[in-house]
Amino acid sequence: MTSTVTELFGPLDPFVHPALFYRDEQDYLDGTLPFVREGLEAGEPVAVAVPGKNLVLIRDALGDDAAAVRLLDMREAGRNPGRIIPGVLRAFADAQPAGRRVRIIGEPIWAGRSDAEYPACVQHEALINAAFRGRTATILCPYDVERLPEHVVSDAYATHPTVIPPGSRAEQRSDAYAPEGVVTRYNEPLPPVPEALSFAFDSDSLPHARHVAVGEGARLGLVGVKLDDLALATAELTTNSVVHGGGSGVLRVWAEDGYVVCEVRDEGHLADVLAGRRPVPRDQRGGRGILLVNLIADLVRLHRSDSGTTVRCWFAR
Amino acid sequence: MNTRQQPSATGPRDPAPGLAVFPLAGRRGVRAAGEVGLPTRAIWEGVLEQAVREDDDVYYLELSGVTFVDVAGAGALAAAAGQLRDGRRFVVRRPPPALRRTLDLLWPGQKGIEVSTS
Repeated sequence: MTSTVTELFGPLDPFVHPALFYRDEQDYLDGTLPFVREGLEAGEPVAVAVPGKNLVLIRDALGDDAAAVRLLDMREAGRNPGRIIPGVLRAFADAQPAGRRVRIIGEPIWAGRSDAEYPACVQHEALINAAFRGRTATILCPYDVERLPEHVVSDAYATHPTVIPPGSRAEQRSDAYAPEGVVTRYNEPLPPVPEALSFAFDSDSLPHARHVAVGEGARLGLVGVKLDDLALATAELTTNSVVHGGGSGVLRVWAEDGYVVCEVRDEGHLADVLAGRRPVPRDQRGGRGILLVNLIADLVRLHRSDSGTTVRCWFAR
Repeated sequence: MNTRQQPSATGPRDPAPGLAVFPLAGRRGVRAAGEVGLPTRAIWEGVLEQAVREDDDVYYLELSGVTFVDVAGAGALAAAAGQLRDGRRFVVRRPPPALRRTLDLLWPGQKGIEVSTS
């Protein structure tokens, strides 16, 4: 199944996806609590996936009602933005009875998201529209307009068809809504790397590519499950290069701040903008490589160009 | 950009790790050693096809000698387990961490698979 950008961003109905702008805790609770309570009163499944501090605010304000809501710390569950659609939003929505509206508060962008993370965050927000188009769901996305940079708030107008101004409960149409443009604009070349181990691979040297990555990851300080995850991610990305990406590629591994980063570049063209973001039906064979990488990495960035595809994954040391 | 080049596809290196499979003595099943990845996928799928055709309630996959299983290899195991008739199961003994991790994330609670770490 492939989906190009233009096919995916049609009318959303019955999906509803407003951005909620807030300045302080009072705005936050005024905007989120009625959304949760109305859902509970209507018997609708409700999930809240927001950064820990805001999760505590909502949980405490809900009192006993909090027990009926699925609560997730987005700093954990959504640390990698590419994980949020399959691992948080669809994971919750798909588990609910059909036909009933699902309500989710999802706050994937908070002050302190790094420059490396932000393009993945804003692409995620744009892709929610494609992933939930035609589904009976409402996903409300709070934005801290006091602390987030101006360009982030401006992007929220492009990724949400409606916005709710601070202190209001009324949705306004966003004339700047253009999610496909966001996906394209943030398809940025990945920043250059000062020094990295590099290994060119093809089908004959596929297992060696993984051994090289694991050896370097261990040398750079990855241990335990994180090292296993590096092995899995390297295997999936290099196998994709061999099977779908022109038969060969280049693996690079290096350390960056608190992370070991691995990157696989090949000459393939990954047309599907939702690749790795759809849950895969249990009985479907194949098609889970990038999904797994999204589920296990702390950050995944992807760059598509005329000359090929580059996927970069971060693993915390 | 500075890069340290590893000997790559054209350089000298050890042969690629394979996947060897042996029958288990005294119980129905196999012991495998090596890696499950693209180069060995056909061998692994052959093992699983044979295992599905067997009749015993329990079929042992002794994997302590397997160092890695990729997602497609885990998927082949899940698909084979899904074909087992009710009452049959695979006992997967001492699998590599990558296989347990992938099964937990992508096929949680898959029927027909019992993972044993002893």
